[in-house]
Amino acid sequence: MADLSINFAGIAMRNPVVTASGAFGYAKEYSNVVPLNRLGAVTVKGVSPFPSHGNPVPRTTEVYGGMLNAIGLQNPGIDKFISDENYLPYLRQVPCPVFVNIWGKTIEHYAEVAARLEAEKKGIAALEINISCPNIKEGGIAFGTDLKLAAAVVKAVRDVTTLPLITKLSPNVTHIGDFARSVVDAGSDAISLINTLPSMAIDIETRSFRIANRIAGLSGPGLKPVAVRMVFQAREAVTVPILGMGGIYSAADAIEFLMAGANAVAIGTAIFSNPGCLVEIIDGIDAWLDRHGIANVNNIVGVMHQAQA
Amino acid sequence: MLEQYQISAPILHNQQLHGDYYQLDITAPAIARAAQPGQFIHVQLPAMPDHVLRRPFSIYDVNPTDGRLSIIYKVVGKGTEHISVLKPGTKLDILGPLGRGFSPLPGDIPSVIAAGGYGCAATFLLAKRARVLPTVLLGGRSAGDILLQDAYESLGCQVLVATDDGSAGAKGLVTELLERVLYEAPNSWIAACGPTPMLKAVGMIAESRKLNAEISLDRVMCCGMGACFACVIKRKANTPEKWAYARACSDGPVFKANDIWWD
Repeated sequence: MADLSINFAGIAMRNPVVTASGAFGYAKEYSNVVPLNRLGAVTVKGVSPFPSHGNPVPRTTEVYGGMLNAIGLQNPGIDKFISDENYLPYLRQVPCPVFVNIWGKTIEHYAEVAARLEAEKKGIAALEINISCPNIKEGGIAFGTDLKLAAAVVKAVRDVTTLPLITKLSPNVTHIGDFARSVVDAGSDAISLINTLPSMAIDIETRSFRIANRIAGLSGPGLKPVAVRMVFQAREAVTVPILGMGGIYSAADAIEFLMAGANAVAIGTAIFSNPGCLVEIIDGIDAWLDRHGIANVNNIVGVMHQAQA
Repeated sequence: MLEQYQISAPILHNQQLHGDYYQLDITAPAIARAAQPGQFIHVQLPAMPDHVLRRPFSIYDVNPTDGRLSIIYKVVGKGTEHISVLKPGTKLDILGPLGRGFSPLPGDIPSVIAAGGYGCAATFLLAKRARVLPTVLLGGRSAGDILLQDAYESLGCQVLVATDDGSAGAKGLVTELLERVLYEAPNSWIAACGPTPMLKAVGMIAESRKLNAEISLDRVMCCGMGACFACVIKRKANTPEKWAYARACSDGPVFKANDIWWD
């Protein structure tokens, strides 16, 4: 039994395994089949100041080695999120830290939803700022691919909340390190990466787009090498905690991210394939550490940055 | 709280019914005991790690005593093609029972089940557990698309068949049979499963006659648990647009026809 506990931006977590935003709903949906008290943390689906229908259907399609999605951040809006028993009141009972993912179409929207959550912060461990969704027409990735806008969003949120901030970065940039530095300088306590890769799939028989939004985010195992590389590069740029994600399906995948410099990992698409994978990954990391005589999971974080010839 | 399980379920039988239609029986005791008519299971494709999404199948029949659970499926793509060659003893990773199923059929008024194609699998348990047997209407393109007629008849149901080409039963649509049944029994309760245009037509018939109808809607699903919002359908709501997206997997797949916002 290795020590899996971590301190992530001041948040005490029993292990480094987190659910990725959008893949685990608001935790209640999976509570019958996933023991929430085993998880490091849960990240809930993106919340905006206003209710959002999201995109038309079809919203998902399977592709080789992964899937595309363009849900479009459907959510009940901050009022209902705070008051409805299925959302924040439920999340306050969840036996692990809760990260609330937030988004907006304008910088003011981000600040508005963050301020509302600051006033209701009991049971919220951190805010994850989504500046990287590829599937909405306004905001989203537009903020995450412009250094100044990315910093402006983070600063606006920083000004209205004392909660730890995790900024979720887009893979759709040339120099990820610049974005990592930019959001950390603006006040982000940690970063998470990568969001999905903007993608497209076409049905050649019907000459139609497989996703109604046409452009959709690629996730799943095929994404993993890109994500590992970007976590590695982000770790070279900043010292804050990193939540690494992108195609993690196994404990071995998770350990790759940790070695590349992630302090914690998030699991997304793999939950759709196998909800049981969350516990399997946690137990698998533990077993791997035991097998290698490593007493503490923190001891493998970023080892690939140490004196490699 | 709903009872839901993720279990490893061995295949008992996996056999072709006819054409592209197959019946799969598995041993899944916890799910078989908890299953309600109209619910579904979500099946991981074994040994296909590059296919990341599960496949949903309506629960056709269960035996709570020996834990057997059956589905009917049609080979329509790589996933179902792969399932069709799996041998008894192979273990399938199953989530279930998922979704909201049908209300029990009423005991005080007649009821009618209208099913298109293998939609008849989703309504079988409903008929099996009915206090008063429903009339069952089966529709399909041709005789090869009519399934489970014997199974429904062995429950004691009267079964009427319609095919587009007239190769079995009446030539025409299952909704024409429905109109005919409602002429004889105008206060019937309706339950339906099949292609969306058929369900929309059922909904229109029910609305015009002020009848209760419950329909099971089939959508491309992703998580199956209500978490991802991939499988949404428009449901009437108190919004500026007069609709909001509901999840087929967890708010449905069975909805009151009158609640659906048809585009």
